[in-house]
Amino acid sequence: MEPDAQLVQQCLRGNNSAWEELVRRHARRVFNLCYRFTGNRTEAEDLSQEVFLRVYRTLASYRSIHGGFPTWLTSVSRNLLIDHYRRTRRERLTDSLDDAMPKLENKESSGRRPDQHALAGELSLQVQDALGKISPDLREAVILRDLQGLEYQEIQQVLQIPEGTVKSRINRGRIELARLLDQMGLRPH
Amino acid sequence: MNWTCEQIETRLSEYVDGSLDASALSAFEGHANGCQRCAPLVARVAGIVAQMHALEMLAEPPQLAEQILARTLGPRANKAKRSGVLDWFRPMIQPRFAYGAVSVLVTFGVMIPALGIDWHKPKLADLRPINIYRAADREAHLVYARGAKFVSDLRVVYEIQSRLRPETEPQSAPDNEPQPTKSSPSGTTNGPQKNPRGLNRARQFSSAGVVLASAVPGACERISP
Repeated sequence: MEPDAQLVQQCLRGNNSAWEELVRRHARRVFNLCYRFTGNRTEAEDLSQEVFLRVYRTLASYRSIHGGFPTWLTSVSRNLLIDHYRRTRRERLTDSLDDAMPKLENKESSGRRPDQHALAGELSLQVQDALGKISPDLREAVILRDLQGLEYQEIQQVLQIPEGTVKSRINRGRIELARLLDQMGLRPH
Repeated sequence: MNWTCEQIETRLSEYVDGSLDASALSAFEGHANGCQRCAPLVARVAGIVAQMHALEMLAEPPQLAEQILARTLGPRANKAKRSGVLDWFRPMIQPRFAYGAVSVLVTFGVMIPALGIDWHKPKLADLRPINIYRAADREAHLVYARGAKFVSDLRVVYEIQSRLRPETEPQSAPDNEPQPTKSSPSGTTNGPQKNPRGLNRARQFSSAGVVLASAVPGACERISP
C-alpha cells in the first residue's frame, strides 16, 4: 500500500498526526493548482483551505484501487475550482467591463503587481497571464499536464472525460498559450 | 505520406511529448521542417512546454497548513503557544551559544574564587569593594609567591642536574673505547690517571648535591634515581 493510502487509513482511525502529515505533503500541490487556475494568491489560499476541508469530510470515500491519492486530491480540487469559477463568473464579467475603463484598469493593475512580483519570476508571471486568457477547459488541461505533471490517464480520471478529449484540450491549450506568449513577447529559449 | 498543416497542428502535442511512432514522426518532421507556417509554431510550442516543465512550484503561504489544520482538527492554541515559547529558546540550541555559555561559566569559575567568595557560604559582605580588593590582592600575591617558588625550585633542580651530567657522560665514553693494556706496569697510559680524578670530582659534587637536596625539600627524590 502506498504511503498516502496508509496515512488515509490512519486518518480514518482518528490519527490526527496522519492528517497533519497528509496536509503538509500536499498543501503545495493544491495551492499551486488553485493559484494557476485563479491567478490570485489570496483566492488560491482560501480555495486550498476549502479543498482540504472537503477532503477531510469525504476522506472515507477515497478508494486506493481507483487511483493514487494525489489524483483523487486533484480531482476534488478541480471540482471545487470549477464550482468557484461558475460562482464567480458574474463578478469576473463585471470586472472585465471595469477593466475596459482606463482609470479602473490602472487601479486594478497597481493592486496586482506587487503580489505577483513577490510570487515568481517573469516567465511564471507571463505564463500565468496567458493562462488567464484561455478558456477554463483548456486551462485546466494544460495546468494538470504541464504545471502539475500529471499523466494523460490521470487527467482523464480527474476531468472525467475521454482520453481523446484530454489530448485535444491539451494540444489546443498549448497552441493557444504559445500564441499568446508570443504576442506578449516571450520567446522560447 | 505527406501531412498537411492541420495534421501537424492536431498532433503537435504528441510530437512534443515524444509519443509519435516512427512513421508518424518521420511524416511530422518531413512536413514541419520544410513548412514556413508550421516550423515556427512547433518550435514555439515545444519551447513553451519545456519552460513550463522547468518551472518550480510556488511556495505555499507559511501559515496555510496551520490554517487548514485549525479548520479541520479545531484550534490548536496550546500547541501554538508551546511552540511560540519554544521559538524563543530555539536560537539558544546551537553550538555557538553553548561555547559562549561554557566560556562565561569558566570565567565565573575562575573569578569567584579569585575574589575570595566562598561557593558554599556566600555572604553579602563578599560583594563589598574593599573586601573584593583585599581578596584579589591577597590572591594575586599568593599566585605570584607560588610562581616564584616554583621557578626557584626548578632552577635548583636544573643546577643540580647540570652539575652532575658532565661527570656521568665522560665516564661512560671510555667504556666504548678499547681498554688500555693492563700489562703495562709503569702506568704510562692516561686511563689509570683519569679515573681517580673523576671519582674525586664525583664525590665532591655528590656531597654538594646532598647539601642542596637537604636545603630544597623534594629535590632529593629528583636527584636520587
